[in-house]
Amino acid sequence: MGAAESRIALRLFACLMVCAANAGYGFNLSEPSPGIFVHRGRQLALDVPGHDDIANIGFIVGRKCVAVIDTGGSMRIGRELRAAVAQHTALPVCYVINTHVHVDHVLGNAAFKSDQPSFVGHTALTQAMARSTEFFLAHYGGDLDSPPGADQIIAPDRVVENELTLDLGGRQLALRAWPTAHSDCDLTVYDGQTGTLWTGDLLFRERLPAVDGSVKGWLKVLDELARMRVRLAVPGHGPITRAVAAALVPERRYLQALTAGVRDELSRGKSPQDAIEHVAAAQKPHWLLWDSVHPHNVMRVIQELEWE
Amino acid sequence: MSIRAIQVCIAAASCLAAVLLAAPPVQALEEATQPSGSAWQLLRTKYYGDRIMGEVDEAYMSLEVPANTPDPAATPLTLRFADDDHRRIKRVRVFIDNNPSPLVATFDFPSAPVTEINMRVRVDRFTSVRAIAETADGGLEMRSGWVKASGGCSAPPSAAAAGVLGEVRVRPSADSKSLQVAIRHPNASGFQIDPRSGDPIPAHYISHIRVNAGPNVLLDVDTGISISENPALRITSDRPIAMPIRVDAVDSETQAHYTASNGSR
Repeated sequence: MGAAESRIALRLFACLMVCAANAGYGFNLSEPSPGIFVHRGRQLALDVPGHDDIANIGFIVGRKCVAVIDTGGSMRIGRELRAAVAQHTALPVCYVINTHVHVDHVLGNAAFKSDQPSFVGHTALTQAMARSTEFFLAHYGGDLDSPPGADQIIAPDRVVENELTLDLGGRQLALRAWPTAHSDCDLTVYDGQTGTLWTGDLLFRERLPAVDGSVKGWLKVLDELARMRVRLAVPGHGPITRAVAAALVPERRYLQALTAGVRDELSRGKSPQDAIEHVAAAQKPHWLLWDSVHPHNVMRVIQELEWE
Repeated sequence: MSIRAIQVCIAAASCLAAVLLAAPPVQALEEATQPSGSAWQLLRTKYYGDRIMGEVDEAYMSLEVPANTPDPAATPLTLRFADDDHRRIKRVRVFIDNNPSPLVATFDFPSAPVTEINMRVRVDRFTSVRAIAETADGGLEMRSGWVKASGGCSAPPSAAAAGVLGEVRVRPSADSKSLQVAIRHPNASGFQIDPRSGDPIPAHYISHIRVNAGPNVLLDVDTGISISENPALRITSDRPIAMPIRVDAVDSETQAHYTASNGSR
């Protein structure tokens, strides 16, 4: 597909998503592989209506119990997900796994409180949730139950330092904590039975990846993800895919262009504004939400690379 | 500085900045329709009394800030000045009206003309950002812009949480017309919370930066807590800047002088 066609396709896609949002299509859910249930988030910015439903979230059903993976950006979405679980199984929710700290993945956690699950995350997630709580309440309080309170921000009670296996009854989930990449608390979930890798925001598709950790760390993690034997990938944002290696390519291409571009701007003594305008500009047609994410990424990467 | 040290530093980078994907929702509408007029009136009286203040055009001085900041804790800010021998700018103050400490920096230019300055600042909430130039003949000129942001002053420490405190880096461009100065320092605002203990982090910042170019002082800057962590200044001139460059930065707490010359690390 050429650049022009992909641009048109992206626009069409964006339009479809908006139309779907406006039509109130309700809570979509698919089962791309047996026992793997995914709700597709919309490709919207974080400051528009519907911003609480932008991440891919879902659950995996074993013989004994259910693991929920990410809970969406509001109590409303968390409850929708809980209801979706109940539609498909009467088994209890024994784990709620958060792939990282970002608002669109964790604000529905409290919707699962009454299940009394174990909340599981990266060992750095505990601290990340603590330092984010005030920010969540101040800026996303409207996405919590009223009145918004810190009791609705739920940090992990079980943390993953490197790897951890969870047993859902005849189904083992391999959790892996990664070094700083998209964030400082990225966690992936691998279901051996179906070869499904839940990447969290280590993989963005269509929506521009947001760098909140380390671009250099992220590129290293992508190399490792590419070496894993995965049959199905559930990205943090964008469509589920069986062509996993190919799905990593656009993100790697952008992150490489971002790194090389910022390095070049720094070495030539260019200003941040110049960097925002020029770095990786050729990648723009391939991504959604460029203008709301790319400047942030450039500023982040400048701060990461200026001390090289 | 080693790659390892950079990694340690990055590892400390905040997950938080849920700022991450886009700017947070815009503040209440009344804030937008009732800008920081009163804050500015107090500041104006304090710093300039009833002196007349002109609003110059962009050709003489411009202030560039993003309407939607990509990062409230590290918002890029650019000042540009005309090289006008007749109305030479000797001092520029930068204000962020609605920050807890609105005076961001006071730049003094004793000699050589500077045509552009880039820096990163903390923006705490929806605000006016202003640059007021004082010319050698005593005139005052102002430029201003609006920034939508929130939480820039209380955002937790990230990149500066590790690294060597007070390390200074000087990097001139190939044509010597621009200069990047970077200082490793948390520049703690006093409004940040230590996520481990829950205690406030005391203010600890770079209070002054002097940049010498050859035998002369290129600029003197009084700085404060509205400057982002790891303070970075990019200075541009329309002519080659005299070498060597020597930077001297003062720590607000210890009064230590952090120094570097170009070529040194």
